[in-house]
Parts: sequence; C-alpha cells; structure tokens
Amino acid sequence: MLAVAGVVFLGAVAMLVVGWVRRDRPGLPFFGENEKLNTGLVVLFGMAIPIVILVALFVVSDLVLLNETDAPAASSTAMTITVIGHQWFWQVRYEGEDAETANEVHIPVRTPINLVVRSADVIHSFWVPELNRKIDTIPGQANSIELYAERAGVYRGQCSEFCGLQHAHMAFRVYAEPRPRFEAWLANIRKPAREPTTPLARQGQRAFMRDGCAACHTIAGTEAEGTIGPNLTHLATRQTLAADTIPNTPEDLFRWIQNPQSIKPGVKMPGLGLGPERFHAIVAYLMGLK
Amino acid sequence: MTVSTPPATTVRLNRLERIWKESPGVLGWLTTVDHKRIGILYFFTSLFFFGAGGVEALAIRTQLIGPNQSTLSPATFNEMMSTHGTTMIFFFVVPMSLGAFGNYLIPLMIGARDMAFPRLNALSFWIYLCAGSFLYVGVFTGNAPSAGWFDYVPLASKTYSPGPGIDFYALSLLFVGISTTLGAINAIVTIFKLRAPGMSLNRMPLFCFAFLAVSFALIFALPALSTALVLLELERLLGFHFFIPASGGDPILWQNLFWIFGHPEVYIIILPAFGIATSIIPTFVRRKMVAFPLVALAEILVAFLGFGVWAHHMFAVGLASATAIYFAAASLVIVIPSGIQLFAWITTIVTGTPRFKTPFLWIIGFIVLFIMGGLSGVTFAAIPFDQQTTDTYYVVAHFHYVIFGAAVFPLLGGMYYWFPKVTGRMYYERWGKVSFWLTFIGTNVTFFPMHILGLDGMPRRNYTYGPEMGWTGLNLIETLGAYLLALGLLSVFVNLAVSLFRGEKAGNDPWEGDTLEWSTTSPPPAYNYAVIPKVSSPYAMWDKEDREEDARNLELGRKTLEQGHETPASTAVDADWDEVLEMPSHSAWPPLVALAMTGVFAMVLLQQWLAAAVFVGILALTVAGFHLKEPEEA
Amino acid sequence: MSSVPRSMEAAGPGPVKAVDRQRQAQASGWWGAALLIATEVTLFACLIATYFYLRFKTSEWPLGGIEKPSVTLPLVFTGMLVATCVPMFLSVKAAKGGAVRAAWSLLLLATVVQATYLGLQIHLMVDDLHSFSPQANAYGSIYYALITTHHAHVAVGLAIDAWLLWKLARGITNYRLIALRVAAFYWYFVSVTAIAVVLTQLYPSL
Repeated sequence: MLAVAGVVFLGAVAMLVVGWVRRDRPGLPFFGENEKLNTGLVVLFGMAIPIVILVALFVVSDLVLLNETDAPAASSTAMTITVIGHQWFWQVRYEGEDAETANEVHIPVRTPINLVVRSADVIHSFWVPELNRKIDTIPGQANSIELYAERAGVYRGQCSEFCGLQHAHMAFRVYAEPRPRFEAWLANIRKPAREPTTPLARQGQRAFMRDGCAACHTIAGTEAEGTIGPNLTHLATRQTLAADTIPNTPEDLFRWIQNPQSIKPGVKMPGLGLGPERFHAIVAYLMGLK
Repeated sequence: MTVSTPPATTVRLNRLERIWKESPGVLGWLTTVDHKRIGILYFFTSLFFFGAGGVEALAIRTQLIGPNQSTLSPATFNEMMSTHGTTMIFFFVVPMSLGAFGNYLIPLMIGARDMAFPRLNALSFWIYLCAGSFLYVGVFTGNAPSAGWFDYVPLASKTYSPGPGIDFYALSLLFVGISTTLGAINAIVTIFKLRAPGMSLNRMPLFCFAFLAVSFALIFALPALSTALVLLELERLLGFHFFIPASGGDPILWQNLFWIFGHPEVYIIILPAFGIATSIIPTFVRRKMVAFPLVALAEILVAFLGFGVWAHHMFAVGLASATAIYFAAASLVIVIPSGIQLFAWITTIVTGTPRFKTPFLWIIGFIVLFIMGGLSGVTFAAIPFDQQTTDTYYVVAHFHYVIFGAAVFPLLGGMYYWFPKVTGRMYYERWGKVSFWLTFIGTNVTFFPMHILGLDGMPRRNYTYGPEMGWTGLNLIETLGAYLLALGLLSVFVNLAVSLFRGEKAGNDPWEGDTLEWSTTSPPPAYNYAVIPKVSSPYAMWDKEDREEDARNLELGRKTLEQGHETPASTAVDADWDEVLEMPSHSAWPPLVALAMTGVFAMVLLQQWLAAAVFVGILALTVAGFHLKEPEEA
Repeated sequence: MSSVPRSMEAAGPGPVKAVDRQRQAQASGWWGAALLIATEVTLFACLIATYFYLRFKTSEWPLGGIEKPSVTLPLVFTGMLVATCVPMFLSVKAAKGGAVRAAWSLLLLATVVQATYLGLQIHLMVDDLHSFSPQANAYGSIYYALITTHHAHVAVGLAIDAWLLWKLARGITNYRLIALRVAAFYWYFVSVTAIAVVLTQLYPSL
C-alpha cells in the first residue's frame, strides 16, 4: 500500500511541478490545448485507474486477509481466556480452570487461543500490536478474536479506546511460553494464595484484611473477596504493577500503595493513609504472594 | 482619464444607497440582516474559536513534548483534547465555511442582493454565538467536557462522567445544530431561487455547487446527531435508558447514530474547501475548469455517498464480517469523486498559465495535503489494516491532513483571495507567501511524524507516554512543528490585520477573477449590484459583452429594481425570472430569539424544568414577534 | 420585466390569487418549510430506527414484562388526525381561489380536530404512565421518547394554526397564503409521521 500511495503522491506532485515549469505555456505538454484530451485525462486518472487500484485493495484486504481477523470457530482453539476491561486494569480469567490474574495473559506458544473480551464499565480496547487486531471491550457484549503467538516472548499490549483519566496507563503483557512452562504457570495460579512466612508479612496480611484492601481486592483462599480492583493472589509473580505502569519491586509497590494518586492520578484506589510501617508490612505480605 | 458617470446613473446609485443604507453603530450591527455584515460577524466569531481551539492544541502538544510530563493533569488533558476537537469542528470550521464564506459570497456569486431569508441568516449567527459561548461558559467554569469529541458512552454517561461537562457538550451542540440547520436551509433556497435570471444551473459557479451539496448533506446528517444528543441527555438528566445494557440499551447505538452524522460531517467540512479551490484555480491559471460538469457532479456525489460509509469508524467493535466488508467497499467508492476533482484541478493547473500568488499557493498546498490525507484515508478501507491503526496517531495524522490541510488551507487561501474584495485593500504579497510557507512546513512537521508514531503503536488520547516506548523523538518534533504552525497562522492574521489599515487600495477586480463578485466595488455596496447581472456562463466576469450590457442597463434603468429593498427570484433550474422579492432591512428579533433559546438551554442544563418551560414560552413569543410584521410592512 | 410581479405587495383575494397563479416556482417560504420538514422526517426516521435497533437486540419485547400496547384507540385517533388533511387541503384551495372566509372556517375545523387528537393522545399517554415509566427500561424510554416527540410536533402545528387563524381573520395577503400552504404541508408531514409512529408504537401488538 505504501508503494502505491508513494507512486500516486509523487505522480501528482510531479504534475504540479510540470504546471509550475510550464506556467507560461497553456495546454498539455506535447499535446497542446485539447479539451477532449483534458477531460479524458481526468476520467483516466480520476476514475479508471483508481477503480483498478481500489478493487485490488478491496479484494486483497477485505476478501482475502479479513478472514484471518474474524472471531475463531469454537473447534479451532485450544482454550478460552476471558479478558475483562476495567477502569484502568485488565482482569484475566482462564475459563474452566478456576484461575484468574490481572494485567498479564500467559499463553502457550503456537497455540490458537479463543480470546473473549468484555467490559466491566466503559468501552476499552484490547490490542497487542504484534499479535492481534484491536477488539473493543463493550459492556453487555462479548467479542472474541483468535490470539496466537508464533514465537515465544513477551508482547506489550495497551488499551486502545479512550476510557477516561488513566487510559494512558492501561497496558498489559502477553507472555507466550513453551507449553510446559505455561502449564507450570497455570498450575501455580490455580492454587490459593501462599500463607505469610515472616512476622512482618503476617502483620501485613492482617492489615490487608482489616484496613480496607480486602474490600476491593481478591486473594484466593483468604477472606479478601473484593472485585473492584485486580486479583492479587499471585501478585509477586508479576513483573509490573498498575497495569504495566511501574515495575514490581518492593520500593515501587510501597510507593504505589502509599500514594496511588501520585502515580496514576484519578485511579480508583484511594491512599489509605495507614502510615509507612503498616505499608511496609503489607508490601512484605504481597511480595510473598508467589 | 476618468469616465464621468452620467447623472441618471448617479441618481440611481444614490437611490439604491438610500434604500439599502445600513443603520450605524453597534445597534446597526446587532440588528443587521445584511449577508455581508453577517458574514463578517461569523468570520470574527469563528476566528475567536479557532484561537481557542489552537490554544487547546498547543496545550496538548506541550504536554506531549516529552515523556511523563506534568504540564497538564490527566483531567485537564482530557478536557483539552475534547474541547479542541469539538471547538474546531463545530465552532470554527463549519461556521467559517458556511457562515462567513458562504454567507458573504453566495449572493454575490449568483447576482442577488441578499440571502433568501435575511432575518433567518441573522438568527443563525446569533444562535451560533450563543451556543459557542454556552460551551465556553462550561469550559471557563471548570466544567469542560472530557470524553472526546465523539463522546462515546458509557464513558459519557452520568455514571462515568457525573459532572455537567458532557451536558455542556451535548446541549451546546444541539444548540449550534439549530444554527447550522437554518444556515443550510437558507443556502439551499438562496441558490435555487435567488440566482440572477438567466443563470441556469449549468451557468452557476462551482463554488455554489459545493455549497449546495454541503447544505443538503447538513439537512440529512444533523438530525442523526440531534437524536443521539437528545437520547444522551434524556439518559443523563432524566434517567432514561438507551445505552445501558442492563436495562436493554446498547452503547453501540450511540456510535451508530453519531457516525451516521459524523461521517457526512467530514465531507461537510471539506466540500466548502473544494468550492473555494474551484474559485481560486480558474482565476490564477487563467482558464476555465477542466471537465466542469464532472466536477459539479463529483461535488454532489461526495455529499451523497458520504451517508453510506459510517461504520468504517467502528471496525473494532466486533461487527459482523459482511457488514464490515460492505462499509469498506462503500468507503472505497467515495475515492472516485474525490479523484475526479483532484485530477480536474491538476489538469486545469497544468494546462493553464498559473500565477503563483499567495491565494494560489494555499491551493497548491491544499492539493498536496489533500492527496496525502486521502491516501492515508484509503488505507483504512483495508479492514485488517484499520484494525491495527484505528485509535492510534495514524488516524490523528490522517484527519489532520484532511481537516487542517485540506479544509483549512483553502479557507486561508480564500481569506487572502477575497481580502481585497471585502476590505477594499490589498494585503502584503511577500508576507503572504512567507505566511504560507511557514504554515505549510509547520503542518507537515507536526502531522507527518504522526503516521509513523501510529504505525509504531502510539495510541491517541493518551495524556503521556513512557520514555521506554521510543516515541520521544517524534513527539518532540511534532510539538516544535506545532509551534511553527502557530507562528505561521499568526503571521497570516498579522498580515491581514496590518493590511486592513495600511494596505494599498484595491480596485474592483485585482485578480481578473472569473465570478460575479469581482464586477462590483471593493467592498461591495450594501445592495451588491445596481443592475441585476446578465449571465451566460459560470465565468461571468470573463463574458465581456454581458458586463457591457449591465453598464448599459444601469444607464437606462433596466433591471435595477430600485423601487424598494428588492431582489429577483427565479425558477430553480432554468432561472426564469419569476417574481420580485421584498427583502427585510433591520430587525431586533433575531438576537432576541437567540437569547430566549439560550435561556431554554441554560435551564435544561441546570435541570430547572419549570424555568425551562417558561423560557420555551418566551421563545414562542419571540418567534411570534419575528413573524409579526409581514414583508410588505417591513 | 414589468410583468414580473412584486408578489409581496399582493393583498386581498384578487391580487393574491393572481400572484399565486403567475408564480412558476414554489415560493421561498414553501421551500424553506420543505427543507425544515426534511430534517424533521430524518429525525423521526432516526428515532424509529433506534426503536427497532433496540428491539432486535433482545428476544423479549416489550422488556421487563411491560404489557403490549392496546391497538384500537391509537389507530382510531391517528385516523382522526390523518383525516384533517382534507380540510387543510380544502382550506388552501379555497384561499387560492379567493374564498378567504371558507378557508378560515376549514382551518378552524382542522384545528379543533387536531387539538382534540392531541388531548386524547396525551390522555392515553398519561394512562400508559400509570403502568410503566420511561425510566423502567429501554423499551419504556424509546416508547415515550418517540410518542412525545410526535406530540411536540402536533403542539407546534397547533401554534401555527392559531397564528394563522388570527392572521387570516384580518384578510389575505401573499405572505399569509404561503403561510397557509406551509401549514398544510406541515400537517401532511405530521400525519405521515403519525402513521409511522403509531405503527412503531403498536408494533409488539401487530
């Protein structure tokens, strides 16, 4: 397409240059003044040639290629993953596996996946530029596409439909892994959360359950069953926080929970004002959720 | 050697001056119904909104000059990008095209003395002014809309946008829609009925064909937007359910209704520019437009076909393949009439003897930018490609090339072209050329890199981006380009402003123009033409015998219509002279009706229903007042 | 050229009739009204399209257990409204022929029936409001949005009628004849949209 566009553009510019060069001589180069020919040229370049190019473009892109971007047939895919867009994070559920995470999609490489997208609030759009076309997440509707990675690796995706204050910070990652590694990862996140092993972490767990965090977040196997914010059951396995906005390190996690508005102004998580000691304990607890 | 004017002619001209005399002072401007004064009012008002939209654009670009900037908070950024689009489209480009250029020039080009409905014309302006002010009251009180110019639900619903910002958006657009509808009706009736007798449709300038097409498109497109906006406000203010899935609604309903308006809207934006281009090109290349009938037909086809393609804005929402394929095919079809016009213009330029003066330079720039914007637009008809590039900076590049490059460049060229006619003075040519080059280069530096950023995955409407994305360099270039562009635009307006006071006096026809407005004085007298012109072709000024006949008619008092405030009305196609119409002169009712309307919208915004009903009653009274005096009593 | 009438000066049955006969094209005011009516037709088309868009999104219609609308009275009333096209048409014919009194009486007859229609329709709507509200669900919302838009157009038509009755009582001029023709055109439009609206409104029961 770029080549054709380039030719058309340069051709038109060339004609304008001819107009400038021949600005003192009326009529066409070589052919002189000939109204019939002028009109013929308009029909040729304005109608005939475009029709040919456009038909070719249409056939190739909309009849041949388009099939590959349709929703997959049920039988052709190995598993179904549901991604639910929220303001401003991604809920990721593995259907039939009782496994849920957030802001990360792990898939086995070279395996067609049925990716179903939904929304919990406004319209978002799921897009991994290197892997798939955009597909909007629309409340009240389930859209699906085929997610397929030819090569193993980490692929960045981002929300691609304006969804409010932190649309700019609503990214996610797709990890395409060899099957064994994928199965191990899935088996791990199916499990409930690990119990804390240090006194600080235990303190953190208590604070998490009692001081407000549990109202919004789920940690499987505990009394935290909130669904407003992302699932944190295996938070420590993730490489980023806050929908791929900051890295997942103790320092960044501390910063994030102490003052979320300083990192994502407008985010729905409030700063709970619990004091640094308690926040450190919570960080210790969360970093143990492998 | 001066030709002395025969006394009979002088007497006639004096009588016409007296009959058509505009009231002086501010009150004169408030109550004017003269299309030229209304055009000037529209011009300065839409320039103000251009400035506002420009400030919003510079704010956006300044925030994006580097990664993780905090010049604007996310909330402010979202407001800026929403008001930038809304202002530029609804309060600048369409009012400038239709209200300023259309109003001023259509009667002049068809040999009439005013629009068909002069008081309605004034009303359109006052409604526009009130509607724009209405939106900006919202902006200045911290209640700007922030869901983007196409305002998708559910983000724009009460749940996710609880403040009044969206109400300001929806109500101001409903409000300005009334103005635009009335303006479109006025233009159509004027073009069909007020053409000088003898100007059959095939002798009408292409400028008028473009404005006729635009006006019909507006008639059928605006109601879809109005429907969407009314449904949205019913949902937001009165708890109706149209877009909420849990109660049987559908967010995609909004998208369909909006784009059924929104796509024709973009052709509405560009068609007047085509009209201006088809006026400027023949004059500066000194030959008639190649394939005139094809160009006229193409202008109409673009408006018509624009109604069949709206869902190409929705290729990511999960449409059925067959639906998407139909819309892609239809979108490709529109390329044809655009291509015809482009090559007609280019062929006319090549086969003519162009003079590269400032107005013509803007048209050359327009052609280049329109081709680029058109090419990127065509790529969206390749659905898989669209599904990668939609909602990225590639789209932002595309529409700025077509809206700024292809719609605004002719407006700027038209400002230079008709400046001598409107002001009676000439602008500074060298500065004109400089202003063109600054703007052209600035435009490309700002918007070309956006294609690349989009292909690299940068989404639109993001208030910031991380340094690791690799988008920093191009964003910096774009921001610098935006400042250069702003400088270019500033130089345009400084040139025109200084020339207004110090430019050399221009005569009637400094360009040897092709259309009728060049036959009258600069600026035109209030009555436009002392003699209703004789017309044999769309290039009336180049038909010397006709202009000589006009001069003879003036001496003899034929076709001078000097018994009152009069203009002829003709049949729609062949322009056979049908009747003589009595035109109104001044009226205070238009601003009063507009004020009453403002009251209604303000009370609805504030959800004061009783007060709104009272204002509806007042509105009815002002409309009655509008119709109280019948034409023969005026 | 002297034979081209200064049509706006025509006052009184004779001159108005002559000007009307002589005019080849439609008057500007008629054209303007026609275009305004075109925008309103498009508005109704969008509302009706919205109704059916929402209907085909679901299997149950009406939603939420709302009862299907009863058919008889709305259809009868709509017939009443459509019938007023006859006196409107005849009123214009009379005015064109110079019979101003007759034109006025026919207009009055049409107005009375139209006003009765509006009153009866509002009564029906208030009845409906006792069973379900526009805030109930999308069905209620589009139902009431559609019919109140129609009622608003009828109300505006009545205002135009009242204006004309007042003006025509003072005699006829070119302007008032054009206004009467516009009013008739407006009522033809309202009648056609009334049929479309009532069929949509009653669709679940048809």
